[in-house]
Amino acid sequence: MTRAIIVTGAGGVGKTTISAGLAVAAASRKMRALVLTVDPARRLAGALGLEDLGNEPTEVTALPGLDAAMLDAAASWEAIIDRHAPADAAARLHDNPFFRAIADRFPATQSYAAGEQMSAYIESRFWDIVIIDTPPAGGGIEFYSAPRRMRDLVGGKLLRWLTGAGLPGRRTLYRITARPVLRFTDTILGGQLLEQVAEFLLDLRTIYDGLSARAHTVEGHLAEAETVVVTTTDPTPIREAHRFFTDESVPTPTRLVFNRTLPSDWAHRHPVPDGPDEETRRILRDNLERWGTEVRRQADARSEFAGQFGARIVTVPWLAEAPTDLTALGTMIESAEGWDLDGLLQGPEPGRQPAIDP
Amino acid sequence: MLDRRLLFVSGKGGVGKSAVTAALATVAARRGRRVLVMGLVDHIGLASHFGVDHLSYRAQEIRPGLFALAVDRSSALDEYLRLQVPTPKAAPTGPITAALAAVVDTVPGVREIVSIGKPIYELWQDEWDLVIVDAVPLGQLISYLRAPITIRDLVPSGRVREQAARMRAALLDPSTSGLVLVVTPEELPVAETVQALDQLADEPVIDVAGITVNRVLPPLDSIDIAALPPGPHADAAMLHTQLVAEQASWLASLPRDVELPYLFGLHTPPEVAARLADEWEDQWTGEAP
Repeated sequence: MTRAIIVTGAGGVGKTTISAGLAVAAASRKMRALVLTVDPARRLAGALGLEDLGNEPTEVTALPGLDAAMLDAAASWEAIIDRHAPADAAARLHDNPFFRAIADRFPATQSYAAGEQMSAYIESRFWDIVIIDTPPAGGGIEFYSAPRRMRDLVGGKLLRWLTGAGLPGRRTLYRITARPVLRFTDTILGGQLLEQVAEFLLDLRTIYDGLSARAHTVEGHLAEAETVVVTTTDPTPIREAHRFFTDESVPTPTRLVFNRTLPSDWAHRHPVPDGPDEETRRILRDNLERWGTEVRRQADARSEFAGQFGARIVTVPWLAEAPTDLTALGTMIESAEGWDLDGLLQGPEPGRQPAIDP
Repeated sequence: MLDRRLLFVSGKGGVGKSAVTAALATVAARRGRRVLVMGLVDHIGLASHFGVDHLSYRAQEIRPGLFALAVDRSSALDEYLRLQVPTPKAAPTGPITAALAAVVDTVPGVREIVSIGKPIYELWQDEWDLVIVDAVPLGQLISYLRAPITIRDLVPSGRVREQAARMRAALLDPSTSGLVLVVTPEELPVAETVQALDQLADEPVIDVAGITVNRVLPPLDSIDIAALPPGPHADAAMLHTQLVAEQASWLASLPRDVELPYLFGLHTPPEVAARLADEWEDQWTGEAP
């Protein structure tokens, strides 16, 4: 059975690097691993050999057993349509200006497409483990709500209001334009606009059954996956991490990873070493002191999560430069404290303690 | 920058956009401007930097001359309709509003025009010297600011289209409106900012009034780290120096107007806003902002 690990959290906390590192750690354990990543920084893409790849999984030649794939956001809506719509409706949708504008803008699209892609890889049973780096839009939590939001969009309020619950013919649709409310909106939005929107929605409606069934499967995979939340102690990521432990619509994360963790002994007083001149010693003392305040801030944030939510905390050291090769990626993950890395990657074995005490 | 009447503040998520918005508003208010700040999405972040629990659709006075509100979509839609549509008092506004809310959810550009409409109306009210918008994150910004163009392309006629044309003109006028981009000296925020600048150059929807770099580490005065005895002092100096070099490498490709410092340790959100405002004023002293 293929394990799935979803690595999520706010943008800019190092999610992509940690996803890649986990995949390296899995491949080093002789597992067949796939990392599905979104918009990697250039140097990381280089390390994975992803510089000019689309969304097909490709072997990372430097590490046997490791494959990487990138989510192609632009192509994702088109692919959803092609998968779920009849050919004539698909062709009309591709040419429809509303479709183009919605595809560009509806934020759940990219998250949903990533979820569909993840599900396809899990179902192929080709990999032992699939690691997903979630798209940044709307914070990580959107990855979990995207299937429902897509269903709502496609089978949406406006369509039901315009057409009733069933799937009516076009003639029915035009007849209801006589409704006073519709006339009223026409004076605001301009003539024919609603009619055009409704035609578009009717075509979009043809994907509803397929998409709805698929979205349900995607939700199942999301519920079974392990969720790893990555954060730093900056306010935005902390707020995002909080949502994962308080929002009941998402699975409780099994790991909370504090990236960019400083050495805890920097918080203590240390005698300034002899040797350097007085001015240098003053600079060194001040510098360690200000970083010491950061260390205390980090410790406070960790103990808050550990105390309030009983979260299993992982600390990844602050590296001045993000790792740019596979060895450094692996080292970063293996040297982090607090994972039960074997348990995370290979699954709980009989007798092994669960990651979080109930 | 502060001579304009309408400023949108945006940046990649997590760069401190709300803190910088609050700081900029504080600077403007200290200089005697009557300022209205509005949050378009994340009201909680903006509210916390003003030291209040939450913001509502009615402007509340934070301190003399500084007002703040939150744009929520249903209130914005109600107001938009009240202003746009001469509704007879007896009209069934409930169902109409519900129906229109559904339209707003679906028709591209309409949602954006409704929430972008609020700051522009406030600008037209002439009640404020300056309206500052804590806008959507950079990834969605262009489609927000493009809303008047999207409407023009999609909506054949009607009031919404006429209104969109006026809004577009207001956004494009550099003596009226401007965009303040917030960035941190890291790879992805800088890359997204450069990309946004390119997009805006290709299709101007608003003038860039300034680029503010947040969380810049001060360089350590010249210290020969290699010569230091090993230990936490040397380690901290090493990390600091490497981070400074890393930041400088990302900033090299970016034009910028203001650099705000990384604030070490524990600060409450209002303290952060005040400290950044102090720093901003220091950098503007002697210059005409």
